[in-house]
Amino acid sequence: MDAEERELLAEALRGTMTATPAGAALDAALAEVGWEDLLAQEPEVAVPLVFSLLGETGAHASLVNDVLLAAAGQPVGGTVALPYAGGRQVVWERADAGGDGGVLDAALPLRAVDPDAADGGKAAADPVALAAGRRALGWWLVGTGRAMLDLARTHALDRTQFGKPIAAFQAVRHRLAETYVALEGAEATLTVAEDELGCLLAKAAAGQAALDAARHCQQVLGGIGFTAEHALHHHIRRALVLDGLLGNTRELTRQAGALIRAQRAAPRLAQL
Amino acid sequence: MSPTSLVPAGFVPPVDGKTATVEEFRAAVRAWLDEHAAGLAKPADHSLDAEVAQLGKVRRALFDAGWMRYGWPVEAGGLGGPDVLRAVLGEEVAARDLTDATNYSLVEVLAPTMISYAKGELAAEMLPWLLSGREQWCQGFSEPGSGSDLASLTTRALQREDGAWVVNGQKVWTSLAQYAQRCVLLTRTAPGHAGITAFFVDMDTPGITVRPLRTMHGVDEFAEVFFDDVVVPHERMLGKEGDGWSLAMDLLPYERSTCFWHRITYLFTRLDRLVADADTDGSEPTATTDAAVGAAYLALHTVRCRSRNTQRRLAAGANLGPETSVDKILLATAEQLLSNTARDVLPGVIELADSDWRTEYLYSRAATIYGGTAEIQRNIVARRLLNLGKD
Repeated sequence: MDAEERELLAEALRGTMTATPAGAALDAALAEVGWEDLLAQEPEVAVPLVFSLLGETGAHASLVNDVLLAAAGQPVGGTVALPYAGGRQVVWERADAGGDGGVLDAALPLRAVDPDAADGGKAAADPVALAAGRRALGWWLVGTGRAMLDLARTHALDRTQFGKPIAAFQAVRHRLAETYVALEGAEATLTVAEDELGCLLAKAAAGQAALDAARHCQQVLGGIGFTAEHALHHHIRRALVLDGLLGNTRELTRQAGALIRAQRAAPRLAQL
Repeated sequence: MSPTSLVPAGFVPPVDGKTATVEEFRAAVRAWLDEHAAGLAKPADHSLDAEVAQLGKVRRALFDAGWMRYGWPVEAGGLGGPDVLRAVLGEEVAARDLTDATNYSLVEVLAPTMISYAKGELAAEMLPWLLSGREQWCQGFSEPGSGSDLASLTTRALQREDGAWVVNGQKVWTSLAQYAQRCVLLTRTAPGHAGITAFFVDMDTPGITVRPLRTMHGVDEFAEVFFDDVVVPHERMLGKEGDGWSLAMDLLPYERSTCFWHRITYLFTRLDRLVADADTDGSEPTATTDAAVGAAYLALHTVRCRSRNTQRRLAAGANLGPETSVDKILLATAEQLLSNTARDVLPGVIELADSDWRTEYLYSRAATIYGGTAEIQRNIVARRLLNLGKD
């Protein structure tokens, strides 16, 4: 796929995500535009594109199931019990959220399941599948972070205090710069995420960047960012929930540390 | 003096720089470094004199074998081939801890400047002296009154009737000036950014006084340099009158690509050492140490990924610009986090033992100051990458 084709595909996907209600309807609409074939044939294009767009548009769909299933060599379209932070497990239903209020991001059709009773199945136990899932969620988290940065940047330019836009104040500018740097760094780790460790580190970096974005952008947005009428809180909820899925940044960072201490050397994954 | 006069008689290039892949070049460099490991090993003497002597020795050996000349143009005494070959060589040198990575990488900012701006045969004549380790060069940019605001510099150059220039003023933070035979010097010849002019100055010219600065980490690698009626021939002007600011800006991409790659390689060797040292301590719960070490690794991995992508963009012919401030922020942050982690997981080592970790820790405090402060980098990101307008 060349750059122009990729651009066209991105536009089509963005259109689908903004025009279709998130959840089951978006699952169906993405199936319509060929998500399954794209995932099977060009996962290295499909995953970064689709998942970062989910983040940027604020949409959601249950595609992480497909990413794990496809990587495990199983038929896509079903669900997998997914590891969650703290030794928990969840299922990402292929239906609309029931709105039972259990999950911080109530729009997501996530259901906690008993980790002792749940059968994670082959996909969730397969390290290759887990790595693929973490990489996909990493792209989503970076997209969510970029959505927050965009909201905060717009606000900083529009909002006037002391006779000038608050974007003119260095304290505000530096928070936004910090957010941008974290997101760019995380994206770089995603471009290098090939093996298990690379995907683990990329998910950790992306989770951290999204949490940094939430913190800085909410502060820049001030009072309006704390209201339900502003879109920011949707993205913050999403970042927090996605960070926990397949291991949160804190857990993954600790695992990376344990690994290099056991190996007595830190792998250099990025090569010229 | 012709550039080839420094090349050993009967020299045959070990590989073809234009056709060798990165992997082939790396394998050949590794084999050579392994073969010559004993002769290149760092001496036990940690003094700066010994370090600079070692730097000269390593460069000389790499130059004589040809490795140091790859990635530099043939017209300037190099052997040609892409820039990335220099990143690979520096990575292998840093990975073996043969020299201080920062000092080794000074070539990366000095040589491109000469190639782009020196008049006539000057670059071809002088560069081999630098690359072969026979000379050290320094960079006279910062001044006591001009740090972050470099364009406000006041070291003055006035042209005499015979065409030569007379320089008066003071530079500071000039790395290795006390060892340098030459200096790439920024001076003021007129007001404003367009009034900055660069010269290539011989450090033994009468009127130059160098005074090393005692730094916090105990290594006198920076110096103050005083210029009192120092006469510089007109032919030693780099570029034209007023080109100094562009010269300073043009070297940023080199500083932020190949130099950073070398520095990151060096920091990974220190992370490996931290992992080894941390094992023997055992004064805190394993999970706590794992988390701290993991965070340092994640930060270093992140900047390495970013820098790899920057190298690839450079190789693809991209012009590097303000986005390299992201690399700079990630690197400075990772470097300080690594030293902070060392202090955390090796309690007392920095305070009570005169170890390498103490030097590392203290030196890392400067990472957010040199090469453009953390605040200046964030200003650049805000202004140029986020388009937030003027502050």
